Amino acid sequence: MFTMGIDIGSSSSKVVILEDGANIIAGEVIQIGTGSSGPKRVLDEALSKAGLKLEDMAKIIATGYGRSSVEEAHKQISEISCQAKGVFFLVPSAKLIIDIGGQDVKAIRLDSKGGVKQFFMNDKCAAGTGRFLDVMSRVLEVNLDDMAEYDARATEPATVSSTCTVFAESEVISQLSNGVAKENIIAGVHQSVASKACGLAYRCGVEEDIVMCGGVAKDLGVVRAISKELKKPVIVAPNPQITAALGAAIFAFEEVRGANK
Amino acid sequence: MSRIETIISELSSISNNPRKAMEDYKKETGKGSVGVMPYYAPEEIIHAAGFLPVGIWGGQKSISKARAYLPPFACSIMQSVMEMQLEGVYDDLEAVLFPVPCDTLKCLSQKWKGTSPVIVFTHPQNRKLEAANKFLAEEYRLVREKLETILNVKITDEALNQSIETYNENRKVMREFTDLAANYPQIIDPKKRHAIIKARFFMEKSKHTAMVKELNSELKSLPVEAFTGKKVVLTGIMAEPNEVLDILKDNGFAVVADDLAQESRLFRNDVPSGTDPLYRLAKWWQEFDGCSLATDAKKSRGPMMMDMVKGSKADAVVVCMMKFCDPEEFDYPIYYRQFEEAGIKSLFIEIDLETTSFEQTKTRVQSFSEML
Ligand code: SF4
Repeated sequence: MFTMGIDIGSSSSKVVILEDGANIIAGEVIQIGTGSSGPKRVLDEALSKAGLKLEDMAKIIATGYGRSSVEEAHKQISEISCQAKGVFFLVPSAKLIIDIGGQDVKAIRLDSKGGVKQFFMNDKCAAGTGRFLDVMSRVLEVNLDDMAEYDARATEPATVSSTCTVFAESEVISQLSNGVAKENIIAGVHQSVASKACGLAYRCGVEEDIVMCGGVAKDLGVVRAISKELKKPVIVAPNPQITAALGAAIFAFEEVRGANK
Repeated sequence: MSRIETIISELSSISNNPRKAMEDYKKETGKGSVGVMPYYAPEEIIHAAGFLPVGIWGGQKSISKARAYLPPFACSIMQSVMEMQLEGVYDDLEAVLFPVPCDTLKCLSQKWKGTSPVIVFTHPQNRKLEAANKFLAEEYRLVREKLETILNVKITDEALNQSIETYNENRKVMREFTDLAANYPQIIDPKKRHAIIKARFFMEKSKHTAMVKELNSELKSLPVEAFTGKKVVLTGIMAEPNEVLDILKDNGFAVVADDLAQESRLFRNDVPSGTDPLYRLAKWWQEFDGCSLATDAKKSRGPMMMDMVKGSKADAVVVCMMKFCDPEEFDYPIYYRQFEEAGIKSLFIEIDLETTSFEQTKTRVQSFSEML
């Protein structure tokens, strides 16, 4: 049996096709999100990669910011529940999830069975999100994918505000014009993202294992900064961008199996 | 339309249109209205003068002009009150009663931009001393004097004691209503519950009492049906705009009790008995507990809410955090810990009167319902 999870975020679209609730047949990501051609394209890509048709899916569940706009889905589940489901499947020892996406930061506490015990989300503000890193990468003229490398070479991280993207941007510009090395600024940017996410994690209660997911988890500079702030190791979920889509596909499988029992 | 529906729709239309309520009152009595800023002003004094006390709670609004007068981190409700002041919304009021129990109100009270005269008074924070009662009764005496001058009426002790009784009767009926509403969530959904309570701010109290009393007795005559959704207690300053309440409803939540400054905190205690009306009103403040605006060394808000959860058989608490409200933000970590220790689930949502997009709230509420 095949099930599908579709996660439409603010800045990326993800699809996972799962076989029998266990094997990931396809896990595709396109870096544009809700309201764009992304959702349709990623869906087609995943199906063609798996060599399957939409009709082959026993159930499709949508999640993410754009979850209500996915016509193909039979049901929607929030990304918090899906994230928890997906991460727990991949890392069963997870107790705290830090999920940083395009416009949201979330901390999710799990119980020993992988159920959501508590969660906190950022306020409506881009600081500490993927969008924040986008802005910084543009100002610094450093590719997002190269930010971690720069960070690793930092000698003295600069101070970058974590309260507001607009303030932080002007701070970074003035540091650049003062000749502060990009490496140090980037380390400061990563610390700023970490302090935002860790604030939510502290509210939730920090317990190991800590797992990071969401697009920003691919930036190892952020992962290092979070680990340093929490003084604990942080595990990056395998393929961290598709964990919520995976969770949705697992929910879909469980629902079909439950209905067939 | 059934009698219940008629009453609810009348109260909802009053709560949605305060201006019309003011005009109707003027037509009926020839008297105007006096604005009442949050929180815990002795409205009874205005009532005793024969004028209509009208609650000022801002509104859903985009903020532009207010930015010139308030820092961006001033709470959302006062941003909207300031914006409306600048638009002249409150200029038809004969006066505005202005308590100042938080820093934002303290500052705002000194820069009222409307044309109505403003009467500022202070609630003492060292509340449990007898001196606090005396101080506040004296403040209220000054409020009464100023109102008498502005409104050109005499406010007698007798009239004031009578108004206190009218208000206590309303408080009693409201407590009965919120208890009943918890049993009939299929009829009293979160938005209707809020509208029925909010109408209190724009009606002569005995009229509101009469309508809610009738609603209560109609409700009582109906069978209680099983409710399959989840039951929650709301806490915070207020649970507005209506979109927030609709999101709760759409996700299968019923509000079975509240600890909101705009709702139950106002009527969970009666004004105590006595002979001197101003002293009675002052004593109410001393006996009042469980609010971020009333200093409480014992921090009883958490335990009070836990009793509420137990008493109303609620599944969880929804924290409606007014954006940038420091008194409420300071209380939160204290009661949140207490909830955690007691195993009470809670959801944190942000109340922002300026917002028009509710996606974040939807995600939080949906996730919470999946979690419970
Ligand atoms: S109590 Fe909070 S919401 Fe109310 S005026 Fe003060 S800061 Fe604003």
